[in-house]
Amino acid sequence: MAELSLKNVGKRFGSYEIIRNASLEVADGEFVVFVGPSGCGKSTLLRMIAGLEPITDGEISIGDTVVNNVEPADRGIAMVFQSYALYPHMTVEENLAFGLRMTGNPKADTERRVQRVADILQIKELMKRRPKQLSGGQRQRVAIGRAIVREPRVFLFDEPLSNLDAELRVQMRVEISRLHKELGTTMIYVTHDQTEAMTLANKIVVLRSGNIEQIGAPLDLYDNPANQFVAGFVGSPKMNFMSAEIVAADGENVTLTLVNQGNVQLTLPLKNPPPSIGDKVTLGVRPEHFAKAGEGIADLTIKVDVAEHLGNTSYIYANVAGGEQLIIEREESRNENIRDTLTIAIKSSHALLFDSDGNRLR
Amino acid sequence: MQLRNRAAYGFLAPYLLIFAAFWIWPIISSFMMSFQNTRINPWVFSPGANWGRLFTDPAFYNALKNTMIILVIQVPVMITLATVMAVLLNSPLLKARGLFRFAFFAPVVVGEVAYAAVFRLMFNLDFGIINKLLNSVGIASISWFSDASAAMALLIIAVTWRWAGYNTIIILAGLQSIPGDVYEAATLDRVSKLRQFIYITLPLLKPIILFCVVLSIIGSMQLFTEPMLITNRGGPGGGTETLGLFLYRQGFTSLNFGYASAIAYTMAALAILISLLNLWVGRDAK
Repeated sequence: MAELSLKNVGKRFGSYEIIRNASLEVADGEFVVFVGPSGCGKSTLLRMIAGLEPITDGEISIGDTVVNNVEPADRGIAMVFQSYALYPHMTVEENLAFGLRMTGNPKADTERRVQRVADILQIKELMKRRPKQLSGGQRQRVAIGRAIVREPRVFLFDEPLSNLDAELRVQMRVEISRLHKELGTTMIYVTHDQTEAMTLANKIVVLRSGNIEQIGAPLDLYDNPANQFVAGFVGSPKMNFMSAEIVAADGENVTLTLVNQGNVQLTLPLKNPPPSIGDKVTLGVRPEHFAKAGEGIADLTIKVDVAEHLGNTSYIYANVAGGEQLIIEREESRNENIRDTLTIAIKSSHALLFDSDGNRLR
Repeated sequence: MQLRNRAAYGFLAPYLLIFAAFWIWPIISSFMMSFQNTRINPWVFSPGANWGRLFTDPAFYNALKNTMIILVIQVPVMITLATVMAVLLNSPLLKARGLFRFAFFAPVVVGEVAYAAVFRLMFNLDFGIINKLLNSVGIASISWFSDASAAMALLIIAVTWRWAGYNTIIILAGLQSIPGDVYEAATLDRVSKLRQFIYITLPLLKPIILFCVVLSIIGSMQLFTEPMLITNRGGPGGGTETLGLFLYRQGFTSLNFGYASAIAYTMAALAILISLLNLWVGRDAK
């Protein structure tokens, strides 16, 4: 077990920057998830920690040691690959024991560790099978087992669940979570699935185009996103973004008009720095944060395009004008139908404001 | 028969006729010929004339021995060499990979007569570059064409030069089908590069290597061009006469087609037998 720290870490291929100035502290035993859209550099960052990609700037430390020039094998990490990367010609048992056998670990200890992993992951009955005789979920279990057997200081997971079907994904997610509780080892996990990130992590690192956009606890990111990208990326369904224009600002409050929502005007408290009149801004409201008509600072009347009734809740999809779709979550709306009109209210306490560059204003 | 099927067979008929006349019939005909004494006119059925002779003919045993020596030495050397070359060609450190790939494959494309002529010049006793090179490091000239062992070595060198690249390309394709993350996983498992090669690359390449071995065995059993053109018709004194050449001489020099047919069937049977043995030895333990 060990803490991990990245200091201004960067990665360039020629003039192309893949990771820029990434700094991060991971405490011992923490479960950190790197999340971001495809191509944001999250897998590269993980591979840099593993030592499979050399870094061009900065410093990576595991425990007390700077590992920039330490071989991957000597970093005390174990990695679970997206494609499982099992040795196809070996049985499950041989796959688990291979690394230990090759490094001359005593036979009895290897057997004990393999048995323990088989117990933890409940794969005892698979030990004599080859990878091609296993299902996707079983292969993933073996891949995780191979990592556990090494008793690493840090576990790295590179999108381990993305090749599994939805049901199995949920099941394995729970299992990885249980494993983390049981082993207590530092884990770093890469995914593009924000639900996985929210459910697994103690700490989420949101990446976009090689930049760390925000680091924080899952609910912190949800409640207090640093910018419009994080606000849109975390949460499902996505946060609603409404184009707006500042029409008045007095240093205490701003008044804006929602240009694509029938020019509804609303006033929000906002002190520093006050935007200027005429500035284009974006109002962000999460689907579940709309109130009943009259209970907020402004009412919106929308036309229902699609209503999804899931039983416990419903999602109303409304595309009022200008292609600006709104999604509203309503627990008590089983009766709303397509073409109904609906009046909802925006609450000041849950309205976020972003400037035209996506920076958070309130 | 339905009209559809009749039309299909109608279109196939020209090919089937040619296939039957020039493929099936020679196979049947030569098999029957092997039981006939073809040294008298008219030919008469006499199994002992060819098959009986085959088992007692010292010339046949000489050709068989030569072929087996080439097979046992040349095939393992060539496949080992091809595997090593494939691994080197697959290295990410290698520059101008396409050029090397072409260079290794090129001998297969070169005309056999041209390559034989060049080898004869290179290994010439008096002015060949090989002997000149040997002399320059203090080794006496070797008479490649008049010493039986040297001639055999020359054949093995020539065949290896010609076919190693071909096998390299096949093995390279096999290497490239092994996913890179398996090696990354092994690297993280603290397995050294050499052990990765022994415990991961070789086992995963086994089916491809077996395929190359079987192809090479079949090729070696039929070896003809090199002893014919390079060592001057299996010289010196039959020292490099292979089964292929022995067959040719019986059939087309002595015009003893019955005996040549018996040799041909023996070669085919041996090739099948050795290949099966190979596949059996290299089978996957279940």
